[in-house]
Amino acid sequence: MAHCWGKRGETLLAALALLLSTSVASAQDSLANPHEGNPGAARAGRALFETRCAECHGADAKGISGPDLTDLWAAGRSDGGVFQTIQRGVPGSIMPSSSAPDDELWAIVSYLKGISTVSPVEFATGNADEGRQMFGANCAGCHRAGRSGGRLGPDLSRITLSRSRAGLMSSIRDPSAAMRVGYRTVTVVTAEGQRIRGLKKAEDAFSIQIVDTAERLQGYLKTDLREVQNEAQSLMPPFGPDRLTDGDLDNLLRFLASLREGGDAL
Amino acid sequence: MRVTKLVTMTALAALAGTAGLDAQEPGAGPTSAQLVEGFTDSSRWPTFSGDYSGRRHSPLTQITPENVGSLTPQWTFQSGTMARGRGFETTPLVWDGVLYVTGPNNYAWALDARTGRKFWEYRRELPDDLTYGRSAPVNRGFGMLENQLFMVTLDAHLLALDRTNGNVLWDIELADYRIGYAATMAPLVVNGKVIAGISGGEYPTKGFIDAYDPETGERDWRFYTIPSPDEPGGDTWPFTGVRERGGGGTWMTGSFDPELNLIYWGTGNPNPDYYGDDRLGDNLYTASIVALNADTGIIEWHYQFTPHDVNDWDSNHVPVQADIMWEGSPRKVVMVANRNGFFYVLDRVTGELLLGKPFTDTTWARELDDDGRPIVLNDGSQGCLPDYWGGTNFMPPSFDPVRGLFFVSARETCATFIPQKPEIEPGRNSSGGTVWVDRDQAYGALRAIDVRTGERRWQFRYPTPTMAGVMSTASGLVFAGDNEGNFMAFDAESGDNLWHYPTGWSIWGTAAITHMLDGKQHVLIPSGTNLTSFALPD
Repeated sequence: MAHCWGKRGETLLAALALLLSTSVASAQDSLANPHEGNPGAARAGRALFETRCAECHGADAKGISGPDLTDLWAAGRSDGGVFQTIQRGVPGSIMPSSSAPDDELWAIVSYLKGISTVSPVEFATGNADEGRQMFGANCAGCHRAGRSGGRLGPDLSRITLSRSRAGLMSSIRDPSAAMRVGYRTVTVVTAEGQRIRGLKKAEDAFSIQIVDTAERLQGYLKTDLREVQNEAQSLMPPFGPDRLTDGDLDNLLRFLASLREGGDAL
Repeated sequence: MRVTKLVTMTALAALAGTAGLDAQEPGAGPTSAQLVEGFTDSSRWPTFSGDYSGRRHSPLTQITPENVGSLTPQWTFQSGTMARGRGFETTPLVWDGVLYVTGPNNYAWALDARTGRKFWEYRRELPDDLTYGRSAPVNRGFGMLENQLFMVTLDAHLLALDRTNGNVLWDIELADYRIGYAATMAPLVVNGKVIAGISGGEYPTKGFIDAYDPETGERDWRFYTIPSPDEPGGDTWPFTGVRERGGGGTWMTGSFDPELNLIYWGTGNPNPDYYGDDRLGDNLYTASIVALNADTGIIEWHYQFTPHDVNDWDSNHVPVQADIMWEGSPRKVVMVANRNGFFYVLDRVTGELLLGKPFTDTTWARELDDDGRPIVLNDGSQGCLPDYWGGTNFMPPSFDPVRGLFFVSARETCATFIPQKPEIEPGRNSSGGTVWVDRDQAYGALRAIDVRTGERRWQFRYPTPTMAGVMSTASGLVFAGDNEGNFMAFDAESGDNLWHYPTGWSIWGTAAITHMLDGKQHVLIPSGTNLTSFALPD
């Protein structure tokens, strides 16, 4: 089946008109995106997303009242699974089902996948075996890769699906430059003066919830605390070139990328 | 390699050095030993019934009959997800100031017990062709061991989640949901094994109880609730081809006696539910309690409450254990208030029936014969029978060992059963008929039963049949709920209502828990989309 998506420079309207006219009768059965790799589909999907989804999921798809959609593939979801969720909604929640044509839904899937996933080509260099050893020695205390590792930091088993090489290198070299919500450093000081450091998971005017560095979930009433110190420094130490050379980083990223291809974990 | 271990150690030391850590190890507890200890630490509720006995009776005494009238909401958590007509049916687990909660549609959370605020949320992506799981998209709670939480799903899987962040550690299939299987119960962790049961008795399924390795998800043993032809009980299914789809679901959490190493578990209705002509015989082990060796899954004894059930009177109740004096001698017993309207006391070592007496006004039977079988007076031809939800249901009862009282939510109903031979097809409901319920005659009641006699000590009547469970405390309180959404406290001795709070939705299929936190006793009740925590004012 031929698909004629609007090319760069053509109007969005034309792209949408073509979208609507394209039939993909077997798409749901196969659950494969019939427009995989077509940039026109992703552009049309962006427009559809902005009008139908962004109110809850944010213009950048990183979530407002609805969840962040840019980590779906990194969380293990497939194209077909995301398509089905958009089509039938999430039962028992505010996320509605959609009666829009399959092509429109696949276009949204194309857009989301495009902004959420990274080509494995970015991680083609390096030695995965050496990277695995490096991960075990430096990262596994706080991060999981496959079936083992720490719980304090994000699970990195599929991280190369959603984070670019440049982004990951930046996070390793200078982790304090950008700390994700849920992984920001905080120290609470109790009335007795005990200092407890961890990652902030939630906070309101009266309480704070953290995971401390012993991986324990801890909730505090602010009336029981002397102080809450939000810190600019990540709990993760910076790994400059003195600790990891560019070659070491290559190996480390190659190892993480191998996990998305079914490579040996830790 | 350029990065030496020294650097690694330095980095970790820098992390830990600023933490202000105490001596507790990361991810500590609950261990298998702590699960056996049950209520020893009053800040915790580590397993479905609070401890392995199934009593749901807390030793806490801060909230008393004298002060319960001033019980005050502390916080409310809203799940943001709803099952049609049914909301929360979960029992939260409490461990070191954190609540671990499952919800409808296979959501789950870790919540701050002080505020109800979320540490993390999990949602399972479910297929859109669920079978039984579509009609009852509920979940009744986690099992917990060390840093793992165990949860079953509507597409009949068993998951292990990381207690720290909610990440899935492993995910295995219990059975093929497309046939009609689903799973809703709270797993029971015993002897380092995860025990899970299965739902789907309204479909052509075959029930089982499974044990899994908590680390790997590998199955240790499976007990089928319907025996093979050459096994004991196999002759209670004389027609060939029926037993493979004969029902006998195991969809409520059992109890466990660590000394006897026996698991007690209730089993569900035979399938088809109402049409029994093609499954003549007693249909063991449906509508029964089974006692299984925890290490092997081998059956030690069974007792069938409703032989050849045709009224959908599952026996998926929490088996409640007690050590009591019986006719002058100490006896280890297990007690069940059954959907068929009878209250039973059994020797939990041997399965011997000690007492069987109606706790409802059921017209089905009023006595058991010398073999412990019901003497059926009314098969439906003499007028109304208790409805298909029975004289009580899966909502947990409680037992106060000091007062010797068993507290249960009773349902008094009147129904006419109309059986019809169903088409048997995988994935298709095969209840086999319909039921007309006369709602004008129906009501509910909280009842206190003296376990030595089976006599009713007191009751508190509700306007409609309730599906709320019960929890009691050593201070002499009974917490229960009604179909109208009231969460209530009663005097255990007299049955006097001492306090109530309108939650805004039926309290349905679940019961309260209680725990200490910062020196205060908290009582929690799930209702609709809300989980609310109560305590006495400062």
